[in-house]
Parts: sequence; structure tokens; C-alpha cells
Amino acid sequence: MVKAERKPLAEIKEAIQNYTRILNVGCGGCVSVCLVGGQKEVQLLNTQMNVMLQNDGRAGRLEGFTVERQCNRLHLVDLDERVARFDCLISMACGAGVQLLAERYPDKPVFPAVNTAAIGIDQEIGVYEERCRACGDCVLGYTGGICPVTRCAKGLFNGPCGGTNRGKCEVSNEIPCAWQEIYERLNAQNRLDDIKKLRQPMEWQNTVRRLIVQEPYRQRYTGPKA
Amino acid sequence: MNDANTAAVDCEAIRAILDQRKDQMQLALKVCAHCSLCAESCFLFQVHDGDPRYMPSHKFINSLGKLYRRKGRVSREELEEIKEIVWRRCVLCTRCYCPLGVDIPEMIALTRSICRSQNVFFQYEDLPQV
Repeated sequence: MVKAERKPLAEIKEAIQNYTRILNVGCGGCVSVCLVGGQKEVQLLNTQMNVMLQNDGRAGRLEGFTVERQCNRLHLVDLDERVARFDCLISMACGAGVQLLAERYPDKPVFPAVNTAAIGIDQEIGVYEERCRACGDCVLGYTGGICPVTRCAKGLFNGPCGGTNRGKCEVSNEIPCAWQEIYERLNAQNRLDDIKKLRQPMEWQNTVRRLIVQEPYRQRYTGPKA
Repeated sequence: MNDANTAAVDCEAIRAILDQRKDQMQLALKVCAHCSLCAESCFLFQVHDGDPRYMPSHKFINSLGKLYRRKGRVSREELEEIKEIVWRRCVLCTRCYCPLGVDIPEMIALTRSICRSQNVFFQYEDLPQV
């Protein structure tokens, strides 16, 4: 799922400094699961910010409301009437949620309270590790299920660079060389031929906005295939 | 556990939310023919070997239906039970299908919203670690 980290309080405080009536909108989706932007975290941030505003002698107050998914218009309906009472919105959702909120309420400034960090896995409570950067052209099939985009510092597609050193990356001795791991896994599966073919450079699809239409629904939204 | 799990339930606030969506809820509860066709569209129902508690209709009837029948007069304990239904037995994937047009995900989302209004919501850190 999408993983995020909360922004520093000072940054959030600076963003809202010109506003007094502030609604902090949480999301019940991925950011709740990674313990950064759900109802509990909305309450926590509001408490911290309200104390901070009070200490600064500033008028203003934060209120909170959590919707089930900020990335789905259907779940924003409950916000419509509520939003009118506020000068600006804080969003604790991922970047998609922030943008949908800003699109739905174009006259309200929307400020993110979290940094969307990665698509990752859960290691422990509150510990997440990036595993996917949504590049749009998955190569895991020939790299033994180890992603060279997220796990190789250079994002190489045709084997390791000269900086690989006894299974570690030149960036840090703590970081395993992704291509060493790929080699070992494929070797164990007797699939080394998979990485002997020369792969073309990635067409970085995640540099343009993508529209995802699942195949069974393609005809419904785009008409029959040519 | 939520911090406010011992606080009194504001039944009037629940009633006010229910009243806002009364027509929609009444219709949904009335037209549900218990045909169980929605069950087939729920992946959680499938992976739990057809456990009827995972049928989308069962979930909304025993959560929102209960709140509606009781006109919002529920205890915090009952809200906690409803929380288990609408968070643990439903991921709100919105894929469930009702041949009679009941918007079950919307009913579940409304139920979650009511729970949230009383500071009852699922906390993911409470999930057992494997």
C-alpha cells in the first residue's frame, strides 16, 4: 500500500499561518493503515497544532474530520457542507487525496500534512519499507521478484555497476546490492538466462500522469478496441 | 482501544446523521430481498469459505440496520461490535453488487462515519503481528 510520513509541525504551521478556521481532513485508507493520516493521527495533529497556536497567542482553531477514502469522490460528499465553514484545509492523505480535495474545493487552499513516500511493505508496527515506485513497466518477472528500480541505487536494468562490493552497494555498506541479490535468486532457480538478454532502457512512464483503466472495463470507457 | 471508549454515546448526534440519510436507508433496508446474490461479489465472503457473516447484506443489515432500528440509541459496546463488522469484515473495496440497486458500500461508509462521530474507529496498530 501507499506509505507516507508526517511533515514537521513547523512546516504545517507555516502553511496555515494566514488562516484561522482550519479543517484537518484524515483518510481511512492507506494512510490509516500506515498510522500517519487516519482519525487518530488527525486528532493528534490537531491537539499539537491547537496548543502551538495557543502558545503563540494566535487566534485560530483546527477541527478534524476523517473520510473513508480521500481518493474517491463518493467519500468526499460528506465534506461538502462542512468545508464551507473553514478558510483552508489540511489533508493527511496521500498526494492523490490532497489533489482530489483541492479539485473538489477549488476556492479553498489545501495543504498536505504528510509526505507520500512509497508503495511498500509492513515490516513492523510503524515500520515500512519501499518496494515499488510505480514505474509503470514492471520487470520483476525477469529479476527474480527483486525490483531494480527501488532497490538498486542507480535503477540499473542490465546488471550491477562497478560499485558493487562483496554484495553491498557503494552507497552504503548497509545496503545490499540489488543485482547481487537478483543474480543469487535467479541462479538458485536456474534462471540466469533471464538476465543475459539485453534490456532496453525504461520509458519512464511515471513522469507523465497516467490513467489506469483495467482491461475488462476498457470497452466501457474508451469504446471497442481498434 | 480508543481513548474515549468509556465516554457516553451521543445518541442524538447519531440520530441526526441517520435522519440526514433516512430515505436512502429506509429504501435500502426495505428492498433487500435477502437474495444473497451480493455474497458472490464479495471477495472476503469467498476467502472465508462462504461464512454468511461476510455477506454484504448481512454486514449492512447488522450495522446500519441496527442503528436505524434503534434510532441511534446504542451503547458504546454495541458500537464496538458494529466497528468489527464494518472494518474487520469489510475493506470498502466497493465491488459488491446488488441486483436491486442497494448501494451497500455507501451504507457501510455511512456506518463508519457514524462510528467515527463517536470516536469509534479501527486502529491498525491493534492488528495482531505475525
